Amino acid sequence: MSFARPRPVYRFVVGMLVVTLTLTACGVSGGASESSESDGGTRQSGTLTVLAASSLTDAFGELADTFEKENSSVEVKASFESSSTLLAQIQQGAPADVFASADEAKMDDASGDGLVEGEPQVFVKNREVVMVPKDNPAGIERFRDIAKPGVKLVLAEDEVPVAEYAEEILSKADEEYGGDFEKTVMSNIVSREADVRASVNRVALGEADATFGYESDYTPDVRDKVETVEIPANLNIIATYPIAALKDAKEPELAQKWVDLVMSEKGQRVLEKWGFEPAA
Amino acid sequence: MASGLAVAALALLAGFISLPILSLVIWTVSEDSWRAMASPEARDALLLSIKTTAISMAIIVAVGTPAAYVLARYEFPGKRLVDSLIDIPAVLPPSAAGIALLLAFGKFGLLGSYLDVFGVQITFTTAAVVIAEVFVAAHFYVRQAAVGFSQVRRDVEEAAMVDGASRRKVFTKVTIPLALPALVAGAVMAWARALGEFGGTIIFAGSFQGTTQTVPLAIYSALQSDLDAAVALSVLVLGFAFTVILTGRYLSRRATEYQD
Repeated sequence: MSFARPRPVYRFVVGMLVVTLTLTACGVSGGASESSESDGGTRQSGTLTVLAASSLTDAFGELADTFEKENSSVEVKASFESSSTLLAQIQQGAPADVFASADEAKMDDASGDGLVEGEPQVFVKNREVVMVPKDNPAGIERFRDIAKPGVKLVLAEDEVPVAEYAEEILSKADEEYGGDFEKTVMSNIVSREADVRASVNRVALGEADATFGYESDYTPDVRDKVETVEIPANLNIIATYPIAALKDAKEPELAQKWVDLVMSEKGQRVLEKWGFEPAA
Repeated sequence: MASGLAVAALALLAGFISLPILSLVIWTVSEDSWRAMASPEARDALLLSIKTTAISMAIIVAVGTPAAYVLARYEFPGKRLVDSLIDIPAVLPPSAAGIALLLAFGKFGLLGSYLDVFGVQITFTTAAVVIAEVFVAAHFYVRQAAVGFSQVRRDVEEAAMVDGASRRKVFTKVTIPLALPALVAGAVMAWARALGEFGGTIIFAGSFQGTTQTVPLAIYSALQSDLDAAVALSVLVLGFAFTVILTGRYLSRRATEYQD
């Protein structure tokens, strides 16, 4: 085949391609303005975008199915990452309808920036546990053992709620145990992961000896690979999860419906099934 | 008419590529994010990137140069297979490369499980970063070097051999100097790829300041807390990218002039 001189057919195809691309580009912007006009109506089709803390992956995944069944022709798109990553995305104007954070600090930041619609509601609670691989190579039998020399500990990144809670726990433990407990534990960290699920996976894969996770992260998926070690109740924290519709929501009605589902008895049952504690 | 469309297409493409680059620069200037470069995270990431890419390049050049020579000069059974094998990391999505490395060198990996018996764990160490960089970047050097070697005329080498030079001497005194522009251009590209390595590193090596958190990982991590730092580091890497492209261009132009 020779491309030395464009043949008429070739030229025609390129021309058509350009025309099509231009039309598509116009079509996209036209479509967007149309949908925002009709939002006021009772139309129940569209796409609901939910940004949720990664610990909610399974529970919200199940609720998304429920939601889609109850609202036919609605598609739920959920994105699960650390609450801090999600907050950064919202602050940068990512198009989303609902934000569910694993701590109140991230939600307060979003509220403070005027990005949240109405008052956020706390919908579940959670506690932290230490997770170790089933064969427990570092021999971590109780919470204190994570300070043993040579333990390969992974923790989510700074700012990720699970890591902030862990630091809270460690500073309480420091007072209780003394002897630089917190410092020793922090010096055992070999990697900072993107979110809580990524840290738990490091343990499930046996690469890390221990990590901090939530009780709800002890899911059926990891139960054959991971064991939990309880954190003494007087040192543990209660993680509170707030949810809110976002000010720039494209689907404000669906967003409110999602929040209602999560707060409803049905929604709470699903969350409880996945290891969360009811908020009330 | 067709040429007008073609020019418009090029303008569109150029605009599309320059917009994000321009945005980075404008943000840096208007938000004064340069200050974030002075943070210990940024400094450690930069030092680690320099250190790991230097080691990676030393390994790639030491192993890749003779390997490329063999690929350029000899025929052997299975050569085409080996040839394609070297290309695979270049087309493999970096995250897939990370998983593959984890399954090979991880604690339960094909090789890693044997190392574990001796108490050696590669994951979470700087060595893992180097492994990831060599894995994804070697291709770029070997490919370019092989082309360089194949352009060195055999009669020049043979003439040196007739004059009594040993095979090794011909390689180091004749072949390498003649192929040098291609070798350097390949090394620059491989270095750039190693510097940009992200997916393999974050999956296989993990991320920890000073040990495994290279510049791309630090950018990703900074996104969680300090956007200014992420932007500043990105602009820094952008500067590197420009230098690399200009150097690569210059050297490959010199290489072709040399051959003509």
